[in-house]
Amino acid sequence: MFDSMERSLTVAGSIEEALAAKHRGAAVLAGGTWLMRDPRRGVNLPDVLVSLHALPALFTVEIEKDQVVIGASVTHAGLARQLAGLNGFDAVVAAANGAANPAIRRVATVGGNLCTFDFAAADLLPVFLAMNAVVELRSIGERQVLPIAEFLANRRVFLRDSILTSVILRRDVIASAHARLPLRRAGDYPVAIVSAVRGHDGRVRIAVGSVEDVARRWISLEAVLAIEPASVSADPERMRALAAQCVDFRGRDGIEADGWYRCQVLPTLVRRAIASLSAKESVQ
Amino acid sequence: MTVTLRINGSACRFHGDPMTPLVDVLRRERFLTGTKAVCREGFCGACTVEVDGEAVMSCLRPIGLLDGATVKSIEALAPGDTALHPLQAAFEAADVVQCGMCFPGMVMSLAPFLRENPDAGRNEIKAAMVGNICRCTGYERIVDAVMNFLDSQKMEQANG
Repeated sequence: MFDSMERSLTVAGSIEEALAAKHRGAAVLAGGTWLMRDPRRGVNLPDVLVSLHALPALFTVEIEKDQVVIGASVTHAGLARQLAGLNGFDAVVAAANGAANPAIRRVATVGGNLCTFDFAAADLLPVFLAMNAVVELRSIGERQVLPIAEFLANRRVFLRDSILTSVILRRDVIASAHARLPLRRAGDYPVAIVSAVRGHDGRVRIAVGSVEDVARRWISLEAVLAIEPASVSADPERMRALAAQCVDFRGRDGIEADGWYRCQVLPTLVRRAIASLSAKESVQ
Repeated sequence: MTVTLRINGSACRFHGDPMTPLVDVLRRERFLTGTKAVCREGFCGACTVEVDGEAVMSCLRPIGLLDGATVKSIEALAPGDTALHPLQAAFEAADVVQCGMCFPGMVMSLAPFLRENPDAGRNEIKAAMVGNICRCTGYERIVDAVMNFLDSQKMEQANG
């Protein structure tokens, strides 16, 4: 009909078939919400693709006693629905429920969110970082499990021969919160995102998304917190002040916001996240 | 690639580029031009259709992922000379349609939502249509029309 009549899409019937297609050079197609906009960005769509949408095992969310295993093809809407009410997982639900708009959340997948190199504003990345998630990668004849921070630091290399199949979250968190600043409510990308998690050890872990090209933990703020009395991490205003002293991000410039602005709003987002975290803890 | 799917109740076969957006198949192949291709980025919602009962942006759905799917576009809500769908009628009665570009998408987003959430309030309605942009009307009158629709549905149910 239009475009390339020669373009091929393999609908993989097994992960092995998907890996074999990838090995032959196929691009992996998940929900397609990012890839389908390639032509608008002046980028040609891949000529050879392999889809994971016929692999039922990748669509499951398994809530176990100690961990939650999220299949790579689970959509944002599905993730929010299945984790709603699960103790400590409010930030994951908020991230999945707040991303983009409802119609995109019904299609965009967890795997797509994690594996799209150019998507700096992905909502799930900071929350998974703060939750200390691990990701499972499959390559031909091999299964690899590694911390998400390690995966994100070297995604292009890891995904050269592998497919991300699941994300694993330990159920060792007391509470979590997700604060994002969009320019308006209608589905645009957030200027900045802060996810905060309090673990069973009482420590608060904080991650930031959309400010730099790739989300990362706010290690300098966490380090300052580690030497402060525990009460500080429950005080939103003091946390805002501490965060203002620790901003060590190089904000990316974009059409929706300048880099300096992304950095400027971070302390306020920390305050909001901590206020939300404290409210959840007091309820519990 | 050949894809077989049902569009508005009819079995259809597509042969061509698997990455063709569903909106182009609907408009160019099936001449179902009620579905609007506007931003083609999933931001405006004008191309919203139901796929397997869920409202999705047809500009972002490659046809190659839709083998065996059931698609419903705005034309299926009130085919031919039949009466308008009650939600469409509510929009018309409240005179909220201006240029009309966004309204097929509005209706296709809200119809499945209201089916599953008949007791939705204004805030829930606003959250459901957050991906549908209108540049003519402002949104409050649209929400008013949806509330009128829900009220009339409840009255109909109460009256048996």
